[in-house]
Amino acid sequence: MQSNRRQVFAALLAAAAARKVKGADTPAVPGKRPMILHNDRPEDLETPVKYFDSWVTPIDAFFVRQHLPRPAAVDPAAYRLNLTGLVSKPLQVSLADLQNLPQHTLPATLECTGNGRAFYTPKLPGIQWGRGAVGNAEWSGPRLSDVLKLAGVDPAARFLEIDGADTGVMQTPDFVRSMPMEKALHPATLLALKMNGQSPDIHGFPARLIVPGWDGTSWVKWVVRLAPVAKESGGFFMNPGYRYPKYHLPPGTAARPVELEVIEGMPVKSTLTAPEDGSKAVLGPIVIRGFAWAGENAVERVEVSIDGGARWRNAQLSAQKLPFAWRLFTLNWTPQEPGYYTVMSRATDTAGRVQPIVPPWNPSGYLWNGIDRVGVTVEKA
Amino acid sequence: MMRTALLLLASALAAGAADQATIEKGQKEEQRTCLPCHSLRIIHTNRLSRAGWSKELDKMAGWGTKYTDRDALLEYLVATYGDDKPVTPPEMSADGRTKQ
Repeated sequence: MQSNRRQVFAALLAAAAARKVKGADTPAVPGKRPMILHNDRPEDLETPVKYFDSWVTPIDAFFVRQHLPRPAAVDPAAYRLNLTGLVSKPLQVSLADLQNLPQHTLPATLECTGNGRAFYTPKLPGIQWGRGAVGNAEWSGPRLSDVLKLAGVDPAARFLEIDGADTGVMQTPDFVRSMPMEKALHPATLLALKMNGQSPDIHGFPARLIVPGWDGTSWVKWVVRLAPVAKESGGFFMNPGYRYPKYHLPPGTAARPVELEVIEGMPVKSTLTAPEDGSKAVLGPIVIRGFAWAGENAVERVEVSIDGGARWRNAQLSAQKLPFAWRLFTLNWTPQEPGYYTVMSRATDTAGRVQPIVPPWNPSGYLWNGIDRVGVTVEKA
Repeated sequence: MMRTALLLLASALAAGAADQATIEKGQKEEQRTCLPCHSLRIIHTNRLSRAGWSKELDKMAGWGTKYTDRDALLEYLVATYGDDKPVTPPEMSADGRTKQ
């Protein structure tokens, strides 16, 4: 597993080097800096770890995961959100209607369910995300509960079904998700019209669901239909897609379909952003940096080790201790001797969850949250 | 020991040579059947076993892909992107920001 990680990191560094040589023949994605290009049609872009240098991730550096081709450009005046299903009065809502509801802003970390898939052994099909299918943004828009109130939710509704404007090519299934009504009505669950104060653009313009603490798949983009329903939706992206085994499996084995559950809240996790993996540093003070997040919880503590996990020290955490949003951490370290150091980070959340050394292998490669590690070679000045 | 190694090498070479035409057919089949829906990067960054690739082909068939030479496509994928093949790095996209 570790050599696998090394390979991936080395590969990403090589890709960055190759870019300098190759230049113009690789596609650009409008509005985005150079990103790790897992796919260009549709766009699947990973943020290089070195871009993570702020609490709020800029849109031009934010990762992109597209299951289906991006829908045709939306005319804001023509946009309508359909409220159907178990409601008192079915309704079509305009963008202006949504803008007229009370607006709320929430900082929240969005992570692709498969972030870190490349680190699992045996390997799994899917996008081979490394560490950068995650970002922290400030999302603004009405509460989803206020939107649903416009149509009136029938008390018989147990789930909310959500459909985005994107549709599949040929018989590729439509991207439809559902979530329990309790989460849909949670005051932190928003229908975002803005991301970092700007148009969400490729991240779901004009309306994108914000489901704080839950996996990225729940955060449906380009929302065009909300339907309170009696039962969980059954489309591909609910079942068999985006499920996780109830009981841990021996690596490489199949799960019993009845023992696969819908993923909801995300685990506790940390990512080191400095020093860069495989980098060199001059003997002297070094700042170890990173970020940590914990699904629906807040981060309580991040510990850092510079000796491969033998001893751990508490890192300094950024002051805001919020549920749903990541915290930045730093540790000032002055190595006494030159040589190669394995730097590791381990987060603990407010519920007492701790990052594992070995995250459970699962058949779709979801929820990787192993203790993070980078290697740095310290040399005499 | 040496003889076994030579025999293995010879059989591997023979298998490789025999498969070359199939692999080329498989690559054409990939162009024809996969590209209508998505670019190939998402395939080429994966490293899967024969069973793994076969499962992916079945999944795509279920989503409307019509193969004319599924066997060749599978051989090509296993030979080129099998789970014994080294990981190759994804490229970086070019800068998509509007120049100020």
